[in-house]
Amino acid sequence: MSTPSLPATKAVKAGSVAPTRPRGALRANVRLVLRILAANPLTLVGFILVVLVSVTAFLIVAVPVVSSVLLHRTLSILPYPALDYAAFPPNQAPSWAHLLGTDQGGTDVLSNVLAALPTDLGIGFSVAGVSLIVGGLLGLVAGFWDTPGTLSSVASIGILRITDIFLSFPTLVLALAITAAWGRGEVQSELAVIVTWWPFYVRLTRGEVLAIKVQPYVIAARAAGVSETTILFRHVVRNVLEPLAVYFSLDVGTVIVTYSTISYVGVGVPPSIPEWGNLMYQYQDLLLTQPWTVLSVTAAIFITVLAFSLLGDGLRDILDPRSRRIMSTTTVASHSGEGT
Amino acid sequence: MSLDLLPGRVAGIVGETGCGKSTLGHSIPRLLPEPPAKVKAGKIVFQGTDLLRLPKWRMPGIRGTGIGMIFQEPINSLNPAFRVGDQIAESVRIRKLRERGLIPGIKPEVKGYDYSKRELPKASDVVTGPFIPPNVSQTIKGRGPPMTREIHAEVLDFLRLVRINDPERIVNLFPHELSGGMRQRIMIAMALSGKPALLIADEPTSALDVTIQAQVLTLMKELMEEVRTSILFISHDLGVIAEMADDLGVMYAGHLVEFGPVGEIFESPRHPYTKALLRSIPNKYKDEGALPSLSGSVPNLSHLPDGCTFHPRCPLARDVCKHKPEPPLAPLPPGPQGLLHKSACFFPEEVPTMP
Repeated sequence: MSTPSLPATKAVKAGSVAPTRPRGALRANVRLVLRILAANPLTLVGFILVVLVSVTAFLIVAVPVVSSVLLHRTLSILPYPALDYAAFPPNQAPSWAHLLGTDQGGTDVLSNVLAALPTDLGIGFSVAGVSLIVGGLLGLVAGFWDTPGTLSSVASIGILRITDIFLSFPTLVLALAITAAWGRGEVQSELAVIVTWWPFYVRLTRGEVLAIKVQPYVIAARAAGVSETTILFRHVVRNVLEPLAVYFSLDVGTVIVTYSTISYVGVGVPPSIPEWGNLMYQYQDLLLTQPWTVLSVTAAIFITVLAFSLLGDGLRDILDPRSRRIMSTTTVASHSGEGT
Repeated sequence: MSLDLLPGRVAGIVGETGCGKSTLGHSIPRLLPEPPAKVKAGKIVFQGTDLLRLPKWRMPGIRGTGIGMIFQEPINSLNPAFRVGDQIAESVRIRKLRERGLIPGIKPEVKGYDYSKRELPKASDVVTGPFIPPNVSQTIKGRGPPMTREIHAEVLDFLRLVRINDPERIVNLFPHELSGGMRQRIMIAMALSGKPALLIADEPTSALDVTIQAQVLTLMKELMEEVRTSILFISHDLGVIAEMADDLGVMYAGHLVEFGPVGEIFESPRHPYTKALLRSIPNKYKDEGALPSLSGSVPNLSHLPDGCTFHPRCPLARDVCKHKPEPPLAPLPPGPQGLLHKSACFFPEEVPTMP
């Protein structure tokens, strides 16, 4: 483009006439989020834990890959290789060499528990994420185009009845049954959980859409000549996003617990892959003799699930522009232009 | 119900609560949810097209640039999740795309006036209104593709048009950060930015407190003179209508009972209901004691009385009114100004002597 771009300082001085957001808006937003977090200590704890857990999981996966490419040497942030049987004397109590001791197979418990983190987190995000997208889209359609007597209402009713069928089974039992039918494996068991998971998102999204589509601002947008599709994917979706994001965050933890249960029962990932449900199964006999083994796995699940739950509770405040009014210390433009 | 809206004229609609004013306003651009709502019979002819016979998917093309609308509740009529600038920009973008033929819809016709520019301010305006530098849109440089920049400049223009002094700051605010009066201005800017041929203002000031109401009305009056769109102004407030409208329609129980020039109706109403309505306005200068009020209330719209819908409350009612079907809205003999005046009463000539 031929128009010379203005330097940042000049643009701000000119009263920020730029068509996009004024510069510094991002920084102001970050500051606002931090302020909201600071006002809700529990959310802050959740936020810090989520960051910690996610960064750790990322490093566990990324460091070996990056180091092998760059240094031609595989490094890892795990103290020892995970599930490396008979590497150490078995059944050792926690010590400086093995912070959480070793198990009956002679592997380092801390390394096993940490190595399971990326697996479980990945499963939590992918299952909840796919359910969010599939269930969310179906819920949008089912909620928005449900005018009786039209062709789309038939589709909408169809979606809801299928959802009802899936919801009528207990989640865990259905997931176990599907995994049992498809055979053991990471992909199969994940798909099985997704199959049982998406209906919840359909219900949630549809309910929100039903409430939003009769709001005066949707009718106002319609009166401005906005097409129905744009209304749905712009005006409605943006307002559904908040409750969905909150539910998603809480849901990641639930998925992890459910999936661990499936693995614990023995139809999840194969035993060669470190996963918390697997480790629970392997350590269950050691509860009385070497409690640190089972308890460390439990603690890992607990911390991760807690982190996402705490974050989810505070996420509403961060996402809702209205809550920012209370938090924001910037001057509120209420009366400019009046009194003319 | 028969109503003609003429180009460049402001038609006011008054009536009691629940008489169908808003339903009328919403039914013209077909904004009522269909079903359950359905216009059973009749025509809504807009620029030669019967909107009722238009397929539903073509209606968005009529709205915005053809028929614009200002709503009753400014609090809920703006999407809380978007900045106000983006909401006006959406409406501007739709119009621009239609003007260029990129999306189907009514193209706003050139009427020889410019919505976005005011005349150079007079000295007195500096006190009463904001100073708006001429051709401000050309001086704006910013980032983004040309279309976006053009739209942004227009958004600022429209905000200035509704007398917002610092549009550069306002565009980046969320609706909840604005007061009711400001939000209503944004609504008006949104409706005007489509440059509609017909603007339906559905009680635009009812939800506002009196001082803000006065400001918004003054603003709308200035805009009417500036913009010359045809306007259907719906209100329950006779004072507001007297101020704003050229023609006045009086509604009772879903029917238009009288229609004519505002001045003539106020001076010599030709329907008993209108007369009773006008009597209930307090006198500005002297205390006349209790205001006369009309006994009874608006009939249930799903169980209308036989004959004239007003007969149970009408002091002039006779047997004819109870049994003969609803009197049509018939033109009266021309009054002193010779303008068209219609009344749906069997005995319009008796109204002036009504007890």
